[in-house]
Amino acid sequence: MKRWKRTVAVVAAAALGTAGCGVRTPPSATPQASAPSDIDIQTNSIDPDATGPAREVPGARQGGVLTVYGQNPPDTFDPTDIYFVDSNEIGKLLFRTPTQFDVRAGKPVLVPDLTDVGKVSDDKLTWTFTFKGGRYEDGNDIRVEDLAYAIKRSFAHDIYRNGPTYQLTYFKDGKKYKGPYRDGEDYAGVQTRGDKLIIKLDKPFADLPFYLSFPMFTPIPKASDSKQEYKNRPLATGPYRFESFTPGSELNLTRNPNWAPETDPVRHQYVDGWRFRWGADPVKTQKQVLASNGEDANAVDYANVDASVLAEATGARSAQLVKGDSPCSIGVQIDSRKVPLAVRRAIAKAYPYDQVRKASGLTDVSAERSSTILPPSVPGFARYTPVEDLDGTGTGDPEGARALLREADAEGFALSWYYDNQQPLTQQVSQVRADALEQAGFTVKPIGVSSAELRAKKSDYDAPVNMGQSPGGWCSDWPTGGSWFPVLFRTQSIGEGQSWGMLGEKKLDKKINKLAKLPAEESEEKWAALDEEIMKKYVFLPHYYDKTAIVAGSNVGGCEADPTMGMPFLPTMFLKK
Amino acid sequence: MEPVARVRAQTPETGSPTRIALRRLRRDPTALLCAGTVLFFVLVAVFAPLLAALAGQDPLTHHFELIDDGTSLPLVGMTPEHWFGVEPRLGRDLFARWAFGARPSLLVAAVATTVSTLVGVTVGLVAGFVGGRVDRVLSWLVDLVLSLPYLLFAIATPATLMAVVGLTPDDAEPSVVSEIRFYSLIIVLSTFGWAGLARLIRGEVLSLREREFIAAARVLGVPTRRVLTRELLPNLVAPIVVSVSMALPGYVVAEAGLTFLGVGLTEPTPSWGVTIASAVSAYESVPHYLWIPVLSVTALVLALSLLGDAVRDAFDPKTRR
Repeated sequence: MKRWKRTVAVVAAAALGTAGCGVRTPPSATPQASAPSDIDIQTNSIDPDATGPAREVPGARQGGVLTVYGQNPPDTFDPTDIYFVDSNEIGKLLFRTPTQFDVRAGKPVLVPDLTDVGKVSDDKLTWTFTFKGGRYEDGNDIRVEDLAYAIKRSFAHDIYRNGPTYQLTYFKDGKKYKGPYRDGEDYAGVQTRGDKLIIKLDKPFADLPFYLSFPMFTPIPKASDSKQEYKNRPLATGPYRFESFTPGSELNLTRNPNWAPETDPVRHQYVDGWRFRWGADPVKTQKQVLASNGEDANAVDYANVDASVLAEATGARSAQLVKGDSPCSIGVQIDSRKVPLAVRRAIAKAYPYDQVRKASGLTDVSAERSSTILPPSVPGFARYTPVEDLDGTGTGDPEGARALLREADAEGFALSWYYDNQQPLTQQVSQVRADALEQAGFTVKPIGVSSAELRAKKSDYDAPVNMGQSPGGWCSDWPTGGSWFPVLFRTQSIGEGQSWGMLGEKKLDKKINKLAKLPAEESEEKWAALDEEIMKKYVFLPHYYDKTAIVAGSNVGGCEADPTMGMPFLPTMFLKK
Repeated sequence: MEPVARVRAQTPETGSPTRIALRRLRRDPTALLCAGTVLFFVLVAVFAPLLAALAGQDPLTHHFELIDDGTSLPLVGMTPEHWFGVEPRLGRDLFARWAFGARPSLLVAAVATTVSTLVGVTVGLVAGFVGGRVDRVLSWLVDLVLSLPYLLFAIATPATLMAVVGLTPDDAEPSVVSEIRFYSLIIVLSTFGWAGLARLIRGEVLSLREREFIAAARVLGVPTRRVLTRELLPNLVAPIVVSVSMALPGYVVAEAGLTFLGVGLTEPTPSWGVTIASAVSAYESVPHYLWIPVLSVTALVLALSLLGDAVRDAFDPKTRR
């Protein structure tokens, strides 16, 4: 979920030059503001039998208008094009999808929405989803053909450039079909029969039911498809619909009278409407929300809480601090094509985890030290004994590293990475890292580039650097190892520009492919074992698991973390009075 | 003003205008206090390495052991080791950074003032005295400079300068970038500072050159250069001193302001503007991090301004009876 990084400013991730997917957001307000010291493990459970209406949230009442502050406005609300955590979360109010996530005791559970959670054929190449029915905001019935049309629409990737692309890889003829506008609606990968939605695959895709929770899979009637215009006024199927939308600054939602609560196992319609406001200084809005004067008592700010605001959220106000998990893991990768294993070990030995962490200004609220690839929110995560020197802590051991280097006959090995030379923070962090590595006997050449160029430079795998390329962090698209390892560690990952360590090992490829075919329940533990195996290759210096913390107004209830997004879980929120 | 009143009571002053002015300044407590303050900061800047060594610190060493792991805030306040405490996140000694930080402020202000004064006075003298086509060209130049957008140039110059010296943002070390920014600050401030003075001087010269003593000098065949330096310049001391006294504090503020905006000096160079910019976000937790450089800039600018006022009064013939 790399693309999600733009959503919310990720100061810390950017500081490390990582910026994987910088999702950040918050969660859980309820009084059980217990110690979120350790990130909880998302249970990858699926509840195929969940039915509507959703269970009531204790203390919930109807009415009121909730204000949501954010920093960067989403650039699109076209469900096909949404790949950012904030617009995805807002989409949960607007768009019903074949499947969806419920949050139970802080854990995401996949439940049915417009369809059931699907059945797969014996050859694992045909999935059948049974459509349950529903209505659009205009009162028209949703047809199963609309679901199919929306999926076909997502293949027009030349028009909807930002959306997720798993369907292009996994669906039958996904590489050839270019969407209904160019290739017509005759597409072998998606078919309908009666109330069945049938998806045919080129290769097994055990996580498909999770993927179907993306807004991309919400039904779109062909007659209403206004292509590029659709993003400004999408047709709602969820509990709320567009009232007014000013791109770049504000969005107002109002109740959708045609949403049928009895068919929806997760969503509620507690408040009368939502007011999303973007662009204000987050520190300012967070302080307003924390102070909760007047209307601000009915507001939340979904940007991760600023350290200065954090200092004020004490005493009675600490209950307004909503903490939770995010699906991200952040660190620095080493290019295995250019740096031999022995040298990579020396880098890890010398690495100044503590200094980098402090210089980046990370806090316990925003970042938990990490020692694995997977974040704890992914089921199957195991906190195994960290691989030596990859524990995300310590000030580095220059002497030990020097010895390792000498042993490898690589004293003075040249290391190079890109950093943003227009931000004091990133300069300082780069300097701290360079100092420590230099002390250990490396020749260090950090390359400063402008903020505007940084992303492109770091994504260029042929660039003259051998550390810290993009992505520097990753977030689960859905909570299984399947949205991590196949994406990041196969040989083809290099070509796709999303590799950690540029590993090109046939054996590893095979192993990952095999695991990817297993159903989620069976693969969980195996992913964790693979996690350790890959860590032992010393291609990833783990920094931290992203955490989220936001402020909610004193009158806001039901504010909980959505661990799949790292955002507040909007469908359950209400106003206390 | 009190001192002036006292002066008035005395017998008429004698000596050159500069002598008289100095004598009056010595009797002005405000001027003395301000001069003392300015001198203090100048000494701090000059002896910054000594002061830092006295404290046993230097402005670039990180003290991560003094930074809290959970919040990245300093664990210590003002201590015998770290007189002003340490910086959040990086743990650099704030006293050393403060002492070294006085240098760019004063240096930029001093150099920019010197350059803009020299250029301004020369252009003004030549334009006013020679007149004719030369005057028209120079006056046009002055008008042009005065009409250029100062902030835009301040922002664009560092990048342009980088290109001129053959560096791209790609291969420049932070220290090199900071050095270039330093020169670009001086260039920008000097470029935009001379024009006002030049216009002022030209006006003065236009009225002076019709006076008898200039006419006499010309009739006697005194070379133009000599007329300019020996006859005209001494009569321009007052406006020049006034202009300088106003320019200095202005440049100190401009340096800190541009740096705060991100177009001045950059990390890792210690500078008050840099410190203020990064201290703003930590104000709630570490207030003195922000207060010390802000108060220093304020004190310096206030002292320079009041000193300028006093100097102007001292040179003003109207208060000299």
